[in-house]
This record gives sequence, structure tokens and C-alpha cells, in this order.
Amino acid sequence: MAIEQKYADLINAAIDGEISAEHKAELDTFLEGNAEGRALHDELASLCGALDGLDQEDPPAHLRHAIMNSIPPTRKPDESPGFLHSLLAMPAFKYAFTFAAGVILALTIVDSSNLSNRAFDDVTGLVGTIAQPIDSTLASAISVDELDVAGVVSLRSAGSLMILDFDLNSRKHIEIEAGYSDPSIWFNGFAQLESDDTTVAAAPGRVRLGMKGKRRYAVFLHNQGEHETTVNLRFLADGEVVHKASLEFKPKD
Amino acid sequence: MSKTDDTQLIERCRSGDRQAFESLLVEYEKPVFNAAYRMLNSRDDAQDVTQTVFLKVFENIGQFDPTRRFFSWIYRITLNESINWLGKTNRLEPLTHEAAFEGKGPEQEVESANVSSSVQAALMTIKSDYRSVVVLKHFLGCSYVEISQILDIPEKTVKSRLYTARQQLKGALTGNS
Repeated sequence: MAIEQKYADLINAAIDGEISAEHKAELDTFLEGNAEGRALHDELASLCGALDGLDQEDPPAHLRHAIMNSIPPTRKPDESPGFLHSLLAMPAFKYAFTFAAGVILALTIVDSSNLSNRAFDDVTGLVGTIAQPIDSTLASAISVDELDVAGVVSLRSAGSLMILDFDLNSRKHIEIEAGYSDPSIWFNGFAQLESDDTTVAAAPGRVRLGMKGKRRYAVFLHNQGEHETTVNLRFLADGEVVHKASLEFKPKD
Repeated sequence: MSKTDDTQLIERCRSGDRQAFESLLVEYEKPVFNAAYRMLNSRDDAQDVTQTVFLKVFENIGQFDPTRRFFSWIYRITLNESINWLGKTNRLEPLTHEAAFEGKGPEQEVESANVSSSVQAALMTIKSDYRSVVVLKHFLGCSYVEISQILDIPEKTVKSRLYTARQQLKGALTGNS
């Protein structure tokens, strides 16, 4: 014979410690005269005991560090917008500035062959929050030219530091997964020129990035022992892989 | 941590204080990771979800209603992200009993030596809506009222889902699913 729902509910409430004294007394009376009810109570109590007794899993030790590294730098809300922003808010200046910026950008591109990678618009030279410029050597680079995303990704090295330098433009939100099978390599940081819109999530053996629009950012990996390694890149748009590529790092002899 | 402590940390987070955010991370990293792990049955996936949850918290802390409990908000994000993750990986539907207990003999399913993995495997055989209430109740220690607030469902529904979930778990553990 099935147990009346009311008593089944009271059994659950009693096991969960969410029963009033009045209902507890009512349940006790019921259980005294109902073996099926007692059996259900014992089964559920045993199940709940097993659930409550499961050990809590410890998160991976590096997770906290990875999360803190992945959150973008913040700007305090009470910061004033600054002179340049105020100036740009005025329409006449906005167009003048856009024109001037275009001229400066063109001149910079023309003269870029003379620049070293210590240039300040180079995110590979920024490490952590201190932003110390560092020298790095190009190991390999790939070009992407797809409908949804285009640009260049390069792999640089500086001692045990490997730097993935992303210079991309996407017309919609895309995700990029950088996978590396060598277990001695681990995610060591992230830097970006823009202050928002790029997300980064690190897990053992891979870093996953999300972006939209024109973005320049760098992912820092620690390669203890400077092992030869391959970083496999997958570009995804709407959950579909739209491009795959690999970057190689070979230590100098 | 008390509600007041959380509220102060949240206020500081809103002002761009990364140290306050790290304090919230220290406080909630383990429960968030465990909730995701119990929902997904994978440490790697739980790690990705935990990271996403904290990024969302960081990005949306300005929208958090300080009159509510912070844990309700972060646990709701955790369960939603876990369910989204299941959807992305096409694992939204519960595993069959055979798939959940793959590689385990019938004795092993309920023997105390393997209780932990058996219970976890049983959890994966029930629907994510039911699994959510079990996770909140048994792994995060929430009351009926708190579960009701987190999932935004009536308390009566919490009780009925818990009851159904337990019946299904019992069936899965005894091989009667």
C-alpha cells in the first residue's frame, strides 16, 4: 500500500530538519503504526546520510590564481573621464581627433619596420600588473583569414616565458582555444590593450579566450625548462570551429 | 561569513577593489567549485564553470541587489552556468543508468567502498532541475526557503522536487531506474 503523500512529505521534512514540533509528533504516531512508513524513512535517511557524507572536493590549487589573472583591470567609478575624453565628447573635436589619429596611425605603420618589440603598443612587453617591457624572440606566427575572424597570432619567447600575441579582428563574438599538451607549461598571465570585452579562462593544458571586434592582447605561459612544444589554436564562432592552426616553439641549441 | 561582511566586500568590489574580490573568491571558491562538480561530474568542467562564475560576478557586481544574500546570487549563477555547460556539451539529458555506472559491477554500485562515486553516478541519472535541488540541499546546505529563493520557485516545488529526486536516486542506486 502506498504511503499517503502527506506522510511522505513529513518524512522528508523530518530528515531535512525542517519539521515543526506539531508535525513531528504527528509523524511519530504515524511511523509507530506503519512499517512501510518506517522503511521509507530509513531508506531516505540512509540516502541523505550518504549524500551529506560525501567529501567536499578541493578546487585545483592554481584556480584562484587563474581567476584573479583572468579578471580585467578595474577603473574606479569615481575616476573623472579625463581631459581627452571630455575633449572628444565635443563633436567638432571628435572628427578632428579621428583624422589626426588616422594620420598618426598611418605614419606609425609606415615606420613600423624600425620599431623594436619594446614599443608600448606591443602587449607582449607587458608582464603582470607592473608592465615591465621585456625583450622577446619570435618563435612562430600564423595568419587567420576567415569570414568571421582575421589577423595574426604569434608565439614569442623570453627565457621560460612564452607569449601568445593575438592581433585579431572579428565581426562577431568568437572564442579561441589555445591548447598545449606539455603538463609542465602553465598559464601565467594575460595583458590587453583594450580594457574590456576580452575574456580569458585558463585550465590545465589550455586557455580559452572570448573576443569581439578589433583586439590586441597577450597570453603568458610559463615553460619551465624551455621545452620544445606546440600550441594548438582553435577558433570558434557560434560554437563551430572556423579555423585551426598550430604554433611551434623550439629552443635554441 | 556574515551578510554584513559580504555586503562590505561587495561595496568595495564595486569601487574596483580587487583585494575585496579576492576575499569573496576565497570564501566562495570551494562551494562554487563543488556545486559545479556535483552538477557536471567532471573536475575540468567544474573548473571552467567556476572561472566563468567568478568572471560573471566580477562583471555584474554592479547589478547585484544588496538587499539580497550574496550566496543566493552566486549559487544561482553557478547552477545556471552548470546547466548551460551541460547544454553546450549536449549532456543536458540525464545519463542512463548503464552509462552513469559504466565500468562498475552491481556489487560495487552500493558497496560502501565506492559510495562516493556511486552516489555521484546516481546523481547524473536524474534531470538537472532535480539535481540542482539536491546540490543546494546536500552540498551547499541550503534550507527550503533559501533553495526557493535561489531557484525562484515556490517552496512547495522545492519539496516535491527533492522528494522526486530522492526517489529517483534511490532507484538508481538499487538499479531500479
